[in-house]
Parts: sequence; C-alpha cells; structure tokens
Amino acid sequence: MSDGQFDSYIEAVQKECPEADYDAIATAFLKYQDDFKIPPQDSMRSIIRSLNSSKSIPNTRAGGSSSSSQPVATKKVERLNELKAADKEIEIEVEIISHNLREQTIRGEQKQIAFGLLEDNPWAENGDKNRWEYKDWAPSPNLAPGSIVRLEGVSVNEYQGKMSLNINQSSRVVVIREGTRPVVAPGEAQDIASLPTDGYACVVGRILSLREDQIHKKDGSGSIDIVRGRLADESGIIGFLSWESFEHKVGALIKIDGAQIRTFRDTPELNFGRTTKVELFHDKNFPGIETLSKQTVLTVSELRDGARDVDTVVQIIEWSKRTFTKDGTDKYLWSGQIADPTGRCRMSAWEDLPIDVDSLPLTVKLKGVRVRAWQGIPDITVDTADQVEMLDKSPWDEDIDFSTHTVEVVLNELATGASRVGVTTEAIVVSVREDSGFIQRCTECRRVLRDGHCATHDANDGETDVRMRLVIDDGLASMSLLINKEGSLGLLAMTEEELGSEINSNGQLDFVQTLRSKMLGRKIRASGRTIVDEQGGMMLADSAEMVEEDAEMKATEIRAQWGVN
Amino acid sequence: MQAGPRVKRQPAWHMLASEFRDATLNEKGSGEFDPSFVITKLGAKVNRVIVAGLLERLEVSETANGSTLYQGQLRDPSGQHYFSVGDYASEAMRELTTRLTAKMEAGEPELVLMVAKARWYQTEEGAIYTSLRPEEACIIDGKTYANWITRACQGTINRMDAFSASLELEPTKQAYSASESIPDNLVEGLITSRNHYGEIDLEQYKLNIMQALDIAEGKMSSATKPVPVLNVSSAVEGDDEGEGSDLEECVLSLIRQLDQGDGVDFEALLSNANARGFPRPDGEAMLDELSEKGVVHEPRFGWFKIVE
Repeated sequence: MSDGQFDSYIEAVQKECPEADYDAIATAFLKYQDDFKIPPQDSMRSIIRSLNSSKSIPNTRAGGSSSSSQPVATKKVERLNELKAADKEIEIEVEIISHNLREQTIRGEQKQIAFGLLEDNPWAENGDKNRWEYKDWAPSPNLAPGSIVRLEGVSVNEYQGKMSLNINQSSRVVVIREGTRPVVAPGEAQDIASLPTDGYACVVGRILSLREDQIHKKDGSGSIDIVRGRLADESGIIGFLSWESFEHKVGALIKIDGAQIRTFRDTPELNFGRTTKVELFHDKNFPGIETLSKQTVLTVSELRDGARDVDTVVQIIEWSKRTFTKDGTDKYLWSGQIADPTGRCRMSAWEDLPIDVDSLPLTVKLKGVRVRAWQGIPDITVDTADQVEMLDKSPWDEDIDFSTHTVEVVLNELATGASRVGVTTEAIVVSVREDSGFIQRCTECRRVLRDGHCATHDANDGETDVRMRLVIDDGLASMSLLINKEGSLGLLAMTEEELGSEINSNGQLDFVQTLRSKMLGRKIRASGRTIVDEQGGMMLADSAEMVEEDAEMKATEIRAQWGVN
Repeated sequence: MQAGPRVKRQPAWHMLASEFRDATLNEKGSGEFDPSFVITKLGAKVNRVIVAGLLERLEVSETANGSTLYQGQLRDPSGQHYFSVGDYASEAMRELTTRLTAKMEAGEPELVLMVAKARWYQTEEGAIYTSLRPEEACIIDGKTYANWITRACQGTINRMDAFSASLELEPTKQAYSASESIPDNLVEGLITSRNHYGEIDLEQYKLNIMQALDIAEGKMSSATKPVPVLNVSSAVEGDDEGEGSDLEECVLSLIRQLDQGDGVDFEALLSNANARGFPRPDGEAMLDELSEKGVVHEPRFGWFKIVE
C-alpha cells in the first residue's frame, strides 16, 4: 500500500517499538501524509508516541518564576491635586502642553534641561483639568507637545507654595498617544493635507472663495463680523474663518503664520485672530485657482462629518418625503440614499427638489453643500434647491446598479478610516464569539438583552433574533464582524428552525465550537456597513460567505514570486 | 482611568514555529492594560498569532498551587510551538483541550489550528523562552492546514524581504518609515530586533519555507527528509537504551542559544532543560555524559561550552 516509501522510517519506528506491525506503521505514515500533510520525519514522533501511549509521562514545569522585584512604594494618581509637596515615585498620565529646551549650568557643568506645561486628566474631552509646570532633568525624547504620556517615578517640587513636577534621571516616560502637534519651526509652511487637527500652523495657499458672515453672540449682546473662506494648495483644501478684517481677494496667494487650527466634528478649520500674520506670497509656480478648484469635488468615500462647501456628483437611489411637527407646525424634509462608485451614504434636503421619484436613479451635481454624520454615516445636507444641478448622464459606467453595488475595501483601510456604507472586505476569522446564534433583543430599542435585562429599558421579554459575532483580521488590523439574521443563516446554510434544533440538541458551547472548526483561521468575505470610533471598528454585515482557497495553486504562486526576488 | 478606548485588539500574525521559537526579545509596557510583545528576529512585534500543526503532545499536570495546567506541543513544517492551557482559559478552550488530551492518549492524531497569545518567560539568567496561550482553537483538515501554511509562508517571506531591505538603511524610524520595502507594521519591530539580535542568518527560514510550500503543494516526496539521525525516544522515560537523545539535543541547543561567549552556567542549563520537560537529575547526567564524550567542555567551573 505504501510501496515501501516509508521503509527507512518504519525501521526506525520498529527500533523504538519492536512489537509494532509493519503494515500498521505504514498505514499510520500514509494517513499522516495524505490526510494531514505531515511528512514522515514530522509524524514519526507522534506515531512512536501513540504506539507507546500506554506509558504516560509525569511532567513538571520549571520551578516558579522567582522574579524578586523589590517593593517600590509607587504612588499612582490620576489627578495632580491628589499630590502633596513631599510625594516621590509618582505615576501619572498627563498631556504635554508645551516643551522647551534650555542650557543650564548645574554645578559648573553645562546641561540641557527641558521644561514646560503639562495637564492632567488627559483622556477627558472637556473635563476639568489642572496644569502644572514640569522640568525634565534628562530631556526625554518621548516628551513632545500634544502627546499623552505616562510619567513614572517623578516627584513633586514645591517652591514658594507653587507645585511643579520634576522628571528625574531615573524617571520613565511612556508615550501612550503620540503628539498630534508636531513642532514646526515658525514661518515654515506645511501642506494643508498634513495639518494636525489642533494647534497652530503656518500655511501658504490660494484663496478659493470668500464670504462675509456674522456670528451672533449666545447671550444676545450683539454680533461679530467675520469672514469665511476656503484656501487650497496642491495637497488639499481647508476652510478658514477670520475674526479680523480681511482684505485679500479670491485668487490671491497668501501666507498665513500663526493660524489656529480648530476641528469642528471631523473637519479642521483655520482660525485667523489678532496674532495671526496674513501676507501676500509670491510664487510663480504655485498652481492657479482653476487647477486647485478641481479638488473641491469629493467622492462619497471622502465625505467627512462637519465638512462645508462640498461639491460632489452622486446618484440618488431612494428619495422620500418625511413630515414632522415642530413647535406645533407641520414641516417636512426630503431624504434618501445616494451613491457613487466609492460608496453609499444619505442625503437630506430642506426644499423641494426637481426629482421625480418614479424615474430614480438620477444623477445630480451638488454644489456648496454641507455634511453631517449619523452613526458615522455621512448625510449630505442640501439647504436650497439651487445647490442641486440635474445631470443627463453619469460620469461613470451607467451599468452600475448602486442599490446592490458594494465597494471592495481592504480591512486595514476600513479599520483606520471613517465609517462607510456599501463596502465588502475579506479577512481571516480569528475569533468566533460565544454569543453567536440566538439572542434576545429589547422590544424598545433592539439592544441585546443581558439576562433578560436591557441597559436602558430594564426587564424585558425580548424578541428573538439570530446573529453571529466574529472578529476578523488581515494581519494589520482587526474588526468586529456582526452578521445579521439573514446573513448568518445564509452563511450557515440553515433555516432558523434547523439552527434552533441544532443548538437545542447539542448546546450553545458545542454549536460555537462547531462554528470555529468551520471558520477559525479561514478567509471570510463580508458585505455591509462599518462604524469606526475610538474603540475600534465594527462591520455590520448583511451577507457573508467563506472564501474557498486553493492552497496548492497559492503555494506555487508564492514560490514563483519569491523566485523573482 | 479610561482604559477602554486605548486598548485596541492586536492583530494576529501567521507565523511558522521556527521564527517564533527563535525569538528571545520581549517588550512590555508597565501599565496594566499595555499589551506585551515578543519581537522576532524578522522584526514582527507579536502579541497574537495564528498557528497550526500536528498536535504532538498534550499532557495535564498539577501546578504548585493546585490548579490544572495542560502543556502541549504543536508541530508545523518548521518546528514546534509550546503551548499551555490553564484554568484561566475559556470554558470552550478547556473543553476542547480535554477532548484533545483524550485523543492523544488514544493515539488519534489531530491537526489543530489556534489563535493564541504570545507568552514568554525569562530565566534568572535572562534567557527568554516563548510559548503560546491559545484563546480559541479547533481541529482542522489537511486542506485548511495547507491554506494556513501558504499564509504563514507569505508572511515570513514578506518579513524576510523587509528585513533584507532594512540592512541597507540606517536603523532609524525615519529611514525605515520612508522605505517602500518596509511595511509600517514592521518598522518598530525591525529597529528593536536589529539592535538586539545583530546579524541573523535567513538560510534556515528559507529552508523552512521551501519545505512548507512543498507540503502545501502536495509534493510530499520532496518534503520528505531522510530519517533523522537522532533517536526519537522521549528522553524522560529514561528506561531504554535510546535514553537522552532528545535531552541531548535540548541541552546542546540550550548551550548554543545561551552562550554569550563565556559559556553557559550549570544552573541556567538545568532549569531551562527542566522547563522543557527534562527533570534536573537527567539534565545533570546528560551534562556529565556530554563532557565525557568531549562534546562540551567546562572552561571554568560550572560553565559549559560546546567544543568547536
């Protein structure tokens, strides 16, 4: 049966297990090779072991890991005001607000030290925060403005009743979040696309648009005249707001030094104030306004919450009128689904648009619209009908059916980008969560019940639903994958009844383990939408399938490509 | 503390056993929620892996504090992974482990795939050993195994390419980030690995890949190597004439691995051999035997070197 191909191995095995039968050993080698793809040199140990399996081996692990770390009295605090003047060996997480270097003579020796301001409570968006000064006696490269760091082994210094922190030679600085405000030499212009989301910047750009505006003070004490506009360079476009009078014209090339960047929702904006220097800039080679304006046309995948003055070309797939009552009067707005080849999102309009619902889909060009987002999904807001221009034909392939069209996006891009609708991705299943299968949802808010309770609506009978919860991973990033009922049943190739009876007879644990043996480590392809926030990414899929792969072909391919290198 | 938002799930590396086992470098932040990493010679900063192979050993033992610990070995074309499953593991993982242990005892071979956390332990001498703590696992068939092999090979090749590219550059974050041949997820690991490991030899990894690809392609004959010269009896049984060959290999490889130039000290060798499942008296006897045979020598008392 094995044509003697394993003879030398069988001999070796028989040396170990003299009673073992030749054919039995040959069969074992063949089984390992054909069923498990384990070559004989790797399977022989297992074969010998199984032949000898009656003898069990006592096994002891190495003596305990006696890491005799000395007890160090570390004082771990969250807030600066928990500290007292004599505190040492402190551990605290802070944001570095400023960082400066200076030479100082200490005991006759020239030394460099760093000093600046830090702030506690770094994770709270708008919480109350305390600022202290600090000195770093052995300037750590990890300290940079805007970074959040954990300081370990620092001490309090009190001088004339004022407390500050000393970062000592032996202190440790652990960067938890890299600084978002790179230190840029003043006067050195940055590309618009590479601007941070806050801090101060210097930019050279051409003015694309300008309009005067007013900001009404909340307390009703009057209004401030401001100028809004947009500025572009080759890398991108940014909106700006000037609190001071602004005499430059559309088309002018200007250099702005000391502009403050503020981020509204996900969209950064430059603010020009009293200390901002705005001057004409001369550069013959700087692109003209026509070239720069082309960048204002965004695709659906480029829309960000809070963006203004956006131009885009989209197809309207669904369009319907919604009425609601506000302050006792009936109002309405139009809303629906739109798409372009890069994805889908929503659109709302406050005025009637010349759209015949029966002739959808229709392609439109939108000008100067703004973008809001709900659950991370962009929603274009059209305030007036003149922002919409009907187009006779689409700039893309007319055959694309956007109601079913999804865009292929690699997982890493989904996990690190904004939320998207209508996307498909492929990745490896690295976890099958144990609550995959039947779940109970709150009858009020559809949230999953825990022990018959909803977090907001308390005890609840619940409604039965089916879903699968997986984690997928492409080696660079991972994402939760939640597959809805339809998608789950499709993936399992089961009806709800079949699924129910399988779980009833074998138990939930066994069911999940069966899923693992079908899915773990294998490639899955899923389509749906994503929600990405600080806690990571999640894909809500309405369909998913396992991807069949041909290992032999893939291996040959890898070998061929590898050979070229 | 708002630990939640900062703890992002670490991605999983497809990795052959040889690369993971060769790693002797780790990185751990001091915070409670900081992830820890094993950094391989090829610059992978590994917190989580997907590995697969033949389950070669799985045994239960009681630890000093009375809890149960399963320890096992998983063999892929390049070598073995050591893994352990304790009481801390999920119910599903423990149940699977019990089932697999029964199958091992019954002599039923199984291919297993696992998603596991990278662990290491450090001896008092500073030597570092890697092992795995599976989070989820399942029994797979040959086809799935072959697919896993191709992914692990592709991953290793990519890392070798990046490693080779890094040799041409200054080992700085700037230089590596700017290079098109070095993917972002390898920049940090490569800098640390080049500082720590110095020169490394890629030849062994190349051989591993060639053999692994043969297996994935179904060319078993070319994947078959001559019978190992070593006697394969499990040394710990210690009652037949084949005694000590695994132990011998273990001791020799320990000396090779740990020797920083002055040899390796007695205590380090025995405790490490013990950690690999060889009782101390056996290790001691093996050292004597090897000294007698002239394979190792003792340049100064209690320090052992391999005779070149």
